[in-house]
Amino acid sequence: MSHSLHRYGTEKNLQNDYTMYARASRWVNREGCGPKLRKILGIFLSEKPVNFGSSQAGKSAKVGLNPQEYAATLDKAYGVACCFSSKDAIKSVLKKLKEADTGISIVVSGLIDEIVKIGKEIGLKPHTAFLSLGIHGKKSLLPEDKVLEITTMCGHGMIASKLTKMVMDKVKAGKMAPEQGADFLAQPCPCGIFNTDRCTDLLAEYKKTSQPSK
Amino acid sequence: MKIDSEKCISCLECVDYCTMNCISEGDETVSIDQDECVECGVCLRANVCPVDAIYMPEDSKQYPRSIRAAFSDPGVEHPGLQQGGRGTEEMKTNDVTGRYRRGEYGMALEFGRPGTGTRIAEIEKVTKLLCSKNIHIEEANPVYSLLADPKAGKMKPEVLQEKVMSAILEFKIREDQLEEVVKTLIPVLKQVDTVVSWGLATRFAKDGTLPVRAKLKDLGIPVRPNAKINMGLGRPLIEE
Repeated sequence: MSHSLHRYGTEKNLQNDYTMYARASRWVNREGCGPKLRKILGIFLSEKPVNFGSSQAGKSAKVGLNPQEYAATLDKAYGVACCFSSKDAIKSVLKKLKEADTGISIVVSGLIDEIVKIGKEIGLKPHTAFLSLGIHGKKSLLPEDKVLEITTMCGHGMIASKLTKMVMDKVKAGKMAPEQGADFLAQPCPCGIFNTDRCTDLLAEYKKTSQPSK
Repeated sequence: MKIDSEKCISCLECVDYCTMNCISEGDETVSIDQDECVECGVCLRANVCPVDAIYMPEDSKQYPRSIRAAFSDPGVEHPGLQQGGRGTEEMKTNDVTGRYRRGEYGMALEFGRPGTGTRIAEIEKVTKLLCSKNIHIEEANPVYSLLADPKAGKMKPEVLQEKVMSAILEFKIREDQLEEVVKTLIPVLKQVDTVVSWGLATRFAKDGTLPVRAKLKDLGIPVRPNAKINMGLGRPLIEE
């Protein structure tokens, strides 16, 4: 899965958007990795992630997945995913993971320079990067940028543009609060990497900037 | 997915959930355009139908249509791969697999992302081109299983018109091939009838930098400020 890559946005509105994924390798350390994944889940949860979940569990925290339920799925899983809206949380999680030394690979998605800086501060040497070289092809098929900033937070494409536009319109009309809109849009994404904090900010900004001028 | 016309009450609750925007209201009932539906299952899982009219029919599970769900619904595993999703472990576990070494780049062209979907025929336009340049398509990626002739990049004829949410064409190149590959891909990517999200996997240099960013800039390829980063916490660690 490259589902946390290609999140669309500006450097400014990506400041509060970081996902973390712990992944055991099928060829190296997947066999019997459940207890290690549970330990990692505990570390993730200790820093209050915005959301978590998995396609194995079939749902995210925003649809009622609780930590115990999630932990119980990990004997048959090979990864743990969640997202955070603060750089301090990422730093603390990485520090704890370094100390725990589980041997499971850890991937952080977010602003490159910020992640590299955090790595340096706590003595981690980032190993490999997966860069996003943008969208190519028939771009006339795409919705407007404001919609893409929200829908691309589910890399599997589970959040429909039409649903997103409907929520944006409701927020703009004052019929839905940005927080409610974000929780609603998080529902179809089972992996738990849809960042509702960032979505709330994007919807609030949309409402502010689309108000008619007086 | 289909909607049982006997049960449907045309409440339209499901329409906005469709990721391919292919649920519409007809004269008497609401229906799903079967040619456009990628079997992602979002409409069904949303559980918004008050009369349970949405269902996955048996013919959606039969090959070749069955590839739609495998490439669209993250909860469906690809047969033989023992994993869901659309790609491989790629760089996520590179610190323990050493799949991408220094001096190599991993390429991932995700057709149909974000949110437009793609016919398999669009991917074939690029697989044929890459194979003509002796670039080997990643065998562990589910796209490889769709190839009838992996040396020529030709897809199995029965899958060409199948539509999926997205599919990732993965391959590896040497560092010195970057310019040639970029210049080969740009014209063909302008001709595909879908969108393509392009990713590149690279090792960090020993000094902690990513020199490929400057090379891509010189080639006119934008590099987004956000990326996925393997933090090097896997063990045993592959340094080189």
